[in-house]
Amino acid sequence: MMNADQPKMNRPAAIRFSTFFSCLLLASCSSITMPSFLRSPASEAVVYALGPREGYTSPLNGSLKPACPALVFDNADFQLTAAHQQALHSLAQEMSTNKKARLLIAGYTRPNLPPDHARSLSERRALAVRQRLIELGLEAANVQTVGFGNDFSPSGPSSDVVVIYRQN
Amino acid sequence: MNARALLLLLSLFVCHGSRAEAGVMDRLRGLLSFGPGRGKTEEQKKIMPRIRVGGFSGGTGTSAQQTLQKELIDSREFFVAGADEKADFTVEGTSIGGRVTGKLRDAKGKELFQRSYAAPGLDENLKALTDDVIYTITGRPGLATSRIVFVSDVTGKRQIYICDAEGGELHQVTHDKHAAVAPSLSPDSSMIAFTSYRSGFPIIRLLDLNVGWERGVTDTPGSSFGSAFSPDGTHLAAVMSFIGNPEIFVSDLNTNTAACVSDSVGAPSSPSWHPDGRQLVFSSDDGDGPKLYVVEVPQKEGQSSRLFRWRTGYHFCTDPEWSPDGRHIAFTTRTSGEWTVAIKPYPNGGVHVVQGGGAEHPSWSPNGHFITYVQHGELFVHDLRSGNRRSILRGHGHITEPRWMR
Repeated sequence: MMNADQPKMNRPAAIRFSTFFSCLLLASCSSITMPSFLRSPASEAVVYALGPREGYTSPLNGSLKPACPALVFDNADFQLTAAHQQALHSLAQEMSTNKKARLLIAGYTRPNLPPDHARSLSERRALAVRQRLIELGLEAANVQTVGFGNDFSPSGPSSDVVVIYRQN
Repeated sequence: MNARALLLLLSLFVCHGSRAEAGVMDRLRGLLSFGPGRGKTEEQKKIMPRIRVGGFSGGTGTSAQQTLQKELIDSREFFVAGADEKADFTVEGTSIGGRVTGKLRDAKGKELFQRSYAAPGLDENLKALTDDVIYTITGRPGLATSRIVFVSDVTGKRQIYICDAEGGELHQVTHDKHAAVAPSLSPDSSMIAFTSYRSGFPIIRLLDLNVGWERGVTDTPGSSFGSAFSPDGTHLAAVMSFIGNPEIFVSDLNTNTAACVSDSVGAPSSPSWHPDGRQLVFSSDDGDGPKLYVVEVPQKEGQSSRLFRWRTGYHFCTDPEWSPDGRHIAFTTRTSGEWTVAIKPYPNGGVHVVQGGGAEHPSWSPNGHFITYVQHGELFVHDLRSGNRRSILRGHGHITEPRWMR
């Protein structure tokens, strides 16, 4: 007998699909089959697709200024803590005066994690931070994410952090 | 409590019990047997084909004969018979100026093949002949011409390298401004898919090893990584996050379409194809550590697919890879606080710990007899039949993410 059980299903309530579909650029992909949860009826949370990345600068290509102190995550967690919420709330208030300001949220992990898992975990954390910032009023199109995992350790950040960079 | 409620409770108890026990039973089975290791005893009992290396005429004939004999012994696929001993097969030929023509005959003298090999080096030609002999007799691919790709930081930046199964023929493949990681070799070894940070953001690129051209497969917002070629080389599975969640996508390299096949709330990574090309195994962390999941890849648009967790009995499982025969999955887990490479039969069976002490990121040899992995930055090849292992590359920076040609 297969030792299988049901997957944890992600059933977002509504996706701002029409706004963001044009941004889902596969460089050489002419069509995209929608994932099941995009086709399913709305229920719980809204997941905001990423907007175009054109014009964003990577921290690998330039010196970027952090918008707030790095958010530190414990172990393998990607849930936001009360301290994270407080920092993001302050940042959202600060950003409310400049609606056009853009942010790049970059996730990093400690070096001793399997590299591909580290990439995914760091991206997941960055997306969790982005999601919260959007809920706090930031424009989804003005917030990008990237997960570096531990690919730039030790020259880059070498711990479980998310750094929010201001874009020029 | 009425009878219906009792029945419901009982059924819940039974369901819960069977799930909870899966891991325990796996471990118990693991203590009693040794997964693929158990098969090795049976396999060793099988009589290996006897092959004799006959004469090779020509200027480099003697050298060719000796080298071929060594390659065939090293393959551990045959008993290599002496000149006077009875053999099931005989290989002979000519070698002039490094070029080789090989002829394989069976015991009755019937010619099974005759081929010429004209690569620049004698060794290269003999490796190709060895693999042809192995494939003709056993039906399994040989390893003499197989390649392993991996990532090393020996230059100070993570870049992709390639070597043969003995750690020789080492070449740097990428020379990117920033890191190049997560390589995957196409089934015919002609292309590498990898994650490139050339633009400052992680995107997946394809590099043709024969002609040198390179192109992007994804240039989506967010991150793209963890690419894996399908067994027929026409599709690429990878993680992409442009929809706001990291998910496993399958891209058709011919039609330039992509489909999401996972349904994650967490952090999926490292997809690997079943050899039939109809299923993927991947790791996903939903907040309580990465676990392994299997998803059926829809063969037609709109077709529903089943996604389920595949229990190993361990709480932290990453880097799964299906064996070439689809009967086992190798993965990285953690035992006693250290990375460990383990193998579990699919769909059920006991977990066999191959190597602890920091071993991680296993990848199967094309014939399924060996796996390669890294341990503290050193590249190893582990013989699953004998349990012996050897370091094939050390002192070449910190090596990670090895992938054997599939």
